[in-house]
Amino acid sequence: MEETNKKVDETSEHDLEPRRMSTVGFRGLLKTLLKNRLSVIGIVVIILMFSLALFAPLLAPYDPNEPDYYNLLKGPSAKHWLGTDDLGRDLLSRIIYGAQVSMTVGLGCTVFSLMFGTFMGVLSGYRGGAWDMVIMRICDMIFIFPGFMFILIMAAALGPGMINIIIAISLFGWAGPARLVRGNVLAVREMPYVEAARAAGASNTRIMFKYVLPNCLAPMIVAAALGLGAAVGMEAGAAFLGIGVQPPTPSWGRELRVGYTYLSTVPLYSVAPGLMITMAIMAFIALGDGLRDALDPRLRGEGKKV
Amino acid sequence: MTRYIIFRLFYAVLLLAGTMVITFFMTRMLPGDPIRAAMQQNLDLRDESIVQEVRARFGLDRPVHIQFGMWTRDFFTGNWGNSLSSGQKVVDMFLQRAPVTLELFFLSLFWSWLIGIIMGVVSALKRNSMLDFGITGISIGGLSIPVFWEAIILIYIFGVWWKILPPSGYVPFFEDPIMNLKMVAMPTFVMATHGMAGVARYVRSCLLEVIGQDFIRTARAKGLRERAVIISHAFKPAAIPVLTIFGGTFGGILGGSFIIELMFAIPGLGRMGLDAIFQRDFPIIQTMAVLGSSCVLIANLVTDIAYGWLDPRVRIYK
Repeated sequence: MEETNKKVDETSEHDLEPRRMSTVGFRGLLKTLLKNRLSVIGIVVIILMFSLALFAPLLAPYDPNEPDYYNLLKGPSAKHWLGTDDLGRDLLSRIIYGAQVSMTVGLGCTVFSLMFGTFMGVLSGYRGGAWDMVIMRICDMIFIFPGFMFILIMAAALGPGMINIIIAISLFGWAGPARLVRGNVLAVREMPYVEAARAAGASNTRIMFKYVLPNCLAPMIVAAALGLGAAVGMEAGAAFLGIGVQPPTPSWGRELRVGYTYLSTVPLYSVAPGLMITMAIMAFIALGDGLRDALDPRLRGEGKKV
Repeated sequence: MTRYIIFRLFYAVLLLAGTMVITFFMTRMLPGDPIRAAMQQNLDLRDESIVQEVRARFGLDRPVHIQFGMWTRDFFTGNWGNSLSSGQKVVDMFLQRAPVTLELFFLSLFWSWLIGIIMGVVSALKRNSMLDFGITGISIGGLSIPVFWEAIILIYIFGVWWKILPPSGYVPFFEDPIMNLKMVAMPTFVMATHGMAGVARYVRSCLLEVIGQDFIRTARAKGLRERAVIISHAFKPAAIPVLTIFGGTFGGILGGSFIIELMFAIPGLGRMGLDAIFQRDFPIIQTMAVLGSSCVLIANLVTDIAYGWLDPRVRIYK
């Protein structure tokens, strides 16, 4: 099965069949993925992070916003495993709840940028002409703009809040997927099987969803995994600077910022949230790498422009 | 080749113009009134006529498209306006702070490429060894670790715990060279980490791709020593794709300087830009964004030209 997938460009017989991810199959993909030690670790960590976010109320020993003024900035103890923050709130609970913001922002940004990016990429590649010209030039501009600065200004312009930080990051993040999809659309558009479908009277929408988009699926899944990691990092960075999610909502980037002030007295306060951010991003990168190797051996030149 | 360069140059100017439009309208989207924010400390805001007068002095009372026209015209004549919060000339503010950021920037760029290339080459040549596994792990870690957390950990270890490096601050190189190098050691390392990891990963995969090709097998088959095969046959074709990410590392390091300069209390451009965003200081944000984009643009332009020069297929295709 995997063999047909690889050789599809060379044999004319297979040119009439769209190259689809389903030829590899979800089970085959999972099997290859589980052989890679790093991606297994990644998957486990990701599952853990999402469980933290989903089951935070069950897992957290305390209410993350409940202050305890008798125990300010205490180190680890049997009562508070990771100690307490500057208002006496339980750090462990705040970190568990912090997963909610990071995972929501990560997922939200990835869904938004992929959806918008795919739409723009298809428009650009399939329509061509002026559409292509304008959309790709906008992408180029976004690519040269120092990314973090773009997100900071955007997030500041949109105002505080989780939705706004998701929009700010997505407004930056759609350009990558758009370019990826456009490249794939251009490559697939002239394939004999698309021509065959058109000759058979398939509508543009049908060609798009049935023949063109499934072809982009593999690189898109990889981009999604890597994009999730990047979004988590950007959100944490913005939160660290006080942009985005506002207190008292627990967010790892924000905890870190406050913890940094008490670095010499309570080092764990800044170590713990940072470790969570790093682990989350690492897991998504490891998964992305594993997916890339599993989905397409030819894509081994990572991040290569399409 | 000349046609290719002219085409690229023309395109770069076009992109820059577009970036100016985006930047300008993005800053105008920022909520809050910069004049009121800036005058809060020292002027009586109840007097509306003063607010109006100051606003008029900065040209902020005109329609937005006129403001944009004025800004573009002034920008290219070297008049970048005055800061809304301090009243200083933006040009002077940039010139004063640029050397600090440039020092950090070039040192980081140097480290990220030097160490990144070494790491990538070593792990590609020792593929599937423990060393390769270790370097791959380090580079995934380097890509993942947020700059601010890495900075906190380094500050704690070297600044608070061992006390061998100053935890923050900056002195110019010509005032006290040794102190300067000690002070920039941590910030440049942190700024370089992300790029270093990216370069290492990319070099590794590009080199592996080349090594897997037929002409390398041929070179080995004709009896060349392994070192000669790698150095004279594998490096050049692997270097060409690696060049493409040069501009990307530029942008990454520039973005990192916002947080780094804040954390290490370094009076550079990143710090100024961050303050400007919080104070809605339009002229500074605009100048910063345009200059930042131009840096990446120029890096990309150089890369493109080098690419066309190294790989004839590119320029013929265009």
